[in-house]
Amino acid sequence: MRRRPGIGGLQTAAAARDQYRLLGENVAKLRTDLMKEQLATFRSQLEEFARKHKNDIRKNPSFRSQFHEMCAKVGVDPLASNKGFWAELLGIGDFYYELGVQIVEICLATRPLNGGLIDLQELCKLLRQKRKHDREAVSEDDCLRAISKLKTLGSGFEVILAGKKKLVRSVPTELKKDHNEILELAYSTGYVTVDEVERRLTWTHGRAIDALDTLLDEGLAMIDDGHADGKHRYWFPCVSSISSFGADN
Amino acid sequence: MADFFSKAEVTSSGRPVLLRSEVECHLLSSVDIESEDNHHFYPLKSGLLILTTHRLLWLPSSSSSSTSSAAAIPLHAISHIFSTKKSLKSMFHSPRIRFQVLVSPDGRLFDPASGSGSSSGSGSKSIVLTAVVRGKGDCDGFLGKLWESWRARAWECNETSGSGSGSGSGTGTSTATSGGLYSSDGSVRMVGVAGILRKEQEMWESTDKSLQDAFQDLNALMSKAKEMVMLAEKMRQKLLSGSSSQTSGANDEDMGSKEEMQDWLLSVGIISPVTKESAGALYHQQLSRQLADFVRTPLQRAGGMINLIDAYCLFNRARGTELISPDDMLQACSLWEKFDVPVMLRKFDSGVMVIQNKSHSDEEVFARIKGLVTKPEALRSGISPSDAAITLGIAPAMAKEHLLTAESKGLLCRDISPDGFRFYINLFPEIDPRDVYLVKDYGICNTWIKAVSTSGLK
Repeated sequence: MRRRPGIGGLQTAAAARDQYRLLGENVAKLRTDLMKEQLATFRSQLEEFARKHKNDIRKNPSFRSQFHEMCAKVGVDPLASNKGFWAELLGIGDFYYELGVQIVEICLATRPLNGGLIDLQELCKLLRQKRKHDREAVSEDDCLRAISKLKTLGSGFEVILAGKKKLVRSVPTELKKDHNEILELAYSTGYVTVDEVERRLTWTHGRAIDALDTLLDEGLAMIDDGHADGKHRYWFPCVSSISSFGADN
Repeated sequence: MADFFSKAEVTSSGRPVLLRSEVECHLLSSVDIESEDNHHFYPLKSGLLILTTHRLLWLPSSSSSSTSSAAAIPLHAISHIFSTKKSLKSMFHSPRIRFQVLVSPDGRLFDPASGSGSSSGSGSKSIVLTAVVRGKGDCDGFLGKLWESWRARAWECNETSGSGSGSGSGTGTSTATSGGLYSSDGSVRMVGVAGILRKEQEMWESTDKSLQDAFQDLNALMSKAKEMVMLAEKMRQKLLSGSSSQTSGANDEDMGSKEEMQDWLLSVGIISPVTKESAGALYHQQLSRQLADFVRTPLQRAGGMINLIDAYCLFNRARGTELISPDDMLQACSLWEKFDVPVMLRKFDSGVMVIQNKSHSDEEVFARIKGLVTKPEALRSGISPSDAAITLGIAPAMAKEHLLTAESKGLLCRDISPDGFRFYINLFPEIDPRDVYLVKDYGICNTWIKAVSTSGLK
């Protein structure tokens, strides 16, 4: 562009620049929209193929690896079996195993938030989101069946009843760090209450109760009902002796 | 003579290390490899023969591993595969697979990577190798797969796609940076805004068309698989870079799909999962080794111990569509006892099963416990399981278990009081039965006396 002197020239140049920028933005927006559309097609097709041609895909190892790569890159879950008649009736086939893998995955993903304790209803909801292209929705009963299939791998994964609610616990006592947090909380006073645990650690009621109950079972905590406010106090003798010792110093 | 074959790398648990985009197709156990004249190498005796898309791998069975190491025959070097003759004689023999391989002039197996026979072995001679199958494997099936892999010439695709994907990703990045305005086909660049827009549109139309073509049926997808993988990669790149560069335009949905993708990228990892179909009778054995290799990364991330069920989920995720059942998983883990692998299955009294590092198991934990109980305060008043739990960063139930094991090893002494268990350092090993009052100058006993006496003075 030929340079023109003066304020008028500057203004024209600025206007032209603005025009180009506007056009550029439009094109960029169009491009992302189009790409999203294509990506959506890509995904839905892959999902359909995963469902329809599962056995054929598995027969050909090199194609299988390419198929997995595609799925991984565009974010498609390759596990998409239908429940089918036999799975419903006898519980055979891959359906419940797939469900099991997806359930554990959800538990793993939400663990930082809930400490490995999740409401069965919420689990179901998340599972349905994951399998939103499935023709029939996954029921709670399906979830329970899938979880029971995991029993072979030890008792690290179980459904517990808290009142009327069903909770799924995915962290076994041996690996649970929740207890340490409670013990730390008890350091200053030697005891905690359920309210205190919920408030200070921002846990759900179920999570706090579950952790405290385990500590009782382990013999680390003792319960005290005799206080004026009528609330359970969980005393930790092992912790208080340390703190009293610290006070001596 | 010893290095006639090229060396094949093996993981610590005895699984072959595969090349990029190499996939395992079939396995046979107890296979010998011989040549007709035995001039070039000592015959390889009773090992595991693995067919991949690129190579034939021969791994020694663990018992004979001292005499020979894993060998690789690139399928590229094979010049002919003989079909089996069905005769009366062959009924009494172990089944054999015979094939001809090229030998480079220096008396080694022709290796395309070394470049010694760059003229595709025209000047080199060839010898016939025989694989004698002494095990019960599906020999005919193996031969069929061998033909298939040999004909598919995956190593050539690899070379071309190596350069192809190089340029592909090159354009991918260049489009990401320059805005995807130019196609890479080398045609005359159109100038001006209109040209740019037209180019853009053409590109989208062609992508649309290739998507349509590829997903007509399974065969179409198979033949276009490579292209589609590249397209997927391109889309991923653009979405990831695009939404970060235009953060202002990124809405929730966009962010959602971005997260989803990153999620997935972490999960799929095993390119060549061991399957019942490829491994046959060796399925659980090979699965076990693959699992041992796989589990090391998550194990490290989890601090040396992982719930078996978590590992089951991660392992299956890494295998993609090749789902294994919980029973297979358990069987694979229980086979670890028989192999020399760095991980082990541990079962707690509560019925919980975990996978842990062998090294992590005891020595390291004991060292840390020892450090804990020799602190001045602990010398005086001991430690409780919860103290150990907090300092070691593990669950109280685990800590108690560790302390009790340490006690049984003679490292600690226990004191049972109304407050529960307390553990002290074990001083007895240092006491000399001939002179019980002798205190060594530099021993734990001495430190203990000092620590206790200072508290007594107070």
